[in-house]
Amino acid sequence: MFRALYTAASGMTAQQMNLDNIANNLANSSTTGFQQRQVNFTDLLYQNQIMPGAASTQQTTVTAGLQIGLGTRPSETEIIQTQGDFSTTGNPLDVAISGAGFFQILLPSGQVGYTRDGSFSTNAEGQVVTADGNPLQPAITIPAGALSVTIGSDGTVSVTQPGQTAATQVGNIQTALFVNPGGLNAVGNNIYLATTASGQPVIGTPGGSDGLGTLQQGMLEQSNVSVVNQFVAMILAQRSYESNSRVVKAADEMLQQLNQLAQ
Amino acid sequence: MNSGYYAATTGLVSRTEALDTIANNLANVSTAGFRANHNVFSSMLVSTGDSPLSVLNQDMNDYGVLSATQLDTTQGALVHTGNELDLAIEGPGYFEVKTASGSVYTRGGNFRVSPAGQLTTAAGDPVLGDNSKPVTIVGSPVSISSDGTISVNGAISGRLKMVEFPPATQIQSAGGTYYTAPVGAAVPATHSQVCQGMLESSNVNPVTSVIELMTAQREVEAMRRVLTMFSTEMDKTAAQDLPRVS
Repeated sequence: MFRALYTAASGMTAQQMNLDNIANNLANSSTTGFQQRQVNFTDLLYQNQIMPGAASTQQTTVTAGLQIGLGTRPSETEIIQTQGDFSTTGNPLDVAISGAGFFQILLPSGQVGYTRDGSFSTNAEGQVVTADGNPLQPAITIPAGALSVTIGSDGTVSVTQPGQTAATQVGNIQTALFVNPGGLNAVGNNIYLATTASGQPVIGTPGGSDGLGTLQQGMLEQSNVSVVNQFVAMILAQRSYESNSRVVKAADEMLQQLNQLAQ
Repeated sequence: MNSGYYAATTGLVSRTEALDTIANNLANVSTAGFRANHNVFSSMLVSTGDSPLSVLNQDMNDYGVLSATQLDTTQGALVHTGNELDLAIEGPGYFEVKTASGSVYTRGGNFRVSPAGQLTTAAGDPVLGDNSKPVTIVGSPVSISSDGTISVNGAISGRLKMVEFPPATQIQSAGGTYYTAPVGAAVPATHSQVCQGMLESSNVNPVTSVIELMTAQREVEAMRRVLTMFSTEMDKTAAQDLPRVS
């Protein structure tokens, strides 16, 4: 009886967390390079009151046991690694990754962060930086007065300078690949950090044989949040919250009936 | 004491126990790969030793108890997630997973690759291939065909082990959307297909669960009425009214 109350409470808590996650996905539906997350649930342990296969007599065994489950818990928020849509911006320093891989960003803490948000610009020194001013790694500096910047699909950055006909190569953008990108640690501002779960990054040339995606200049990867799916998930979360609260109500009313017995 | 009093009490206890299972099903309505448990009530004939019961005695001593929970093996809806390592099974099969306590079976296919390159479940336990060894996946993109063959970057690198169970197998829930079965019961899957980029949602039917809930609730109410009737009407008559000599 009291098990049912706690079991239903575990369901309600789980759906509440589900809704928190849906809210974050929807809030970030316009965030460049954002990857939506999905809460995965798992069932809790079972109380075995009768073990299946136990002897019911000397000749026969119980065909199905009596197992009482104790509810659910959210086990993880999985990062959905699908490709977001591309939007053309025309800005020469906007770069999208078509396929797997992350840009490497040097954070103020000295750590390397990983992002799929390729909306870069240059700082006062001409260095290519993110919207937060953190430099792209390996560092690339665009010379002052450059007429045009070209980023090749393999990450080669070249510039045309006044008075020169041939383009000058100023650097290469290298991207990082993880064995388990779902194990990256999101720290906000579109930045992920490597963890023991994600494994160490494999750094390479975009479009190369390592399986890294190619780069697309003048484009940005939009978030991969599917607003329709999130709304459907929201309705489901709301309804299952409701049915779990009905269980609480039913358990309460049963207890009430039992209490009336003593009158 | 009246045997009906005990019959109603047994009914009351079994309905409150049934609520626990209904609550667990509804709590797991969003758990991928979860299979619902159904309550099985059975009547228990209380006999006194070897002496055969009279027909009247049989009627009076037939109690309803919650005797078992049975795993619902109907297919859950497949939901598209787009993650290349989310795998759903269409059909009666299970993936085999190696845990510290031996082989377990699961339909919760939200897998990932560990830093060591092993395909694991969300809990980090390795998923087995058809050679009964953990599956290793190195590189991307990964594509998994309907029979479980894994190709990485166009080259075949292994095959997932999928098993099925004969109809009468006693499958037990072990928590964490893992299921256990008696040793040797698993046979290679023949009627199951893997769907990549999908997850099987829980097979709990919210409609029938809520109806079961309402039924259990009303039955408790009915049993309570029976018990009240015994104590307020019959016992009172027997204990207070009958002994009175006018």
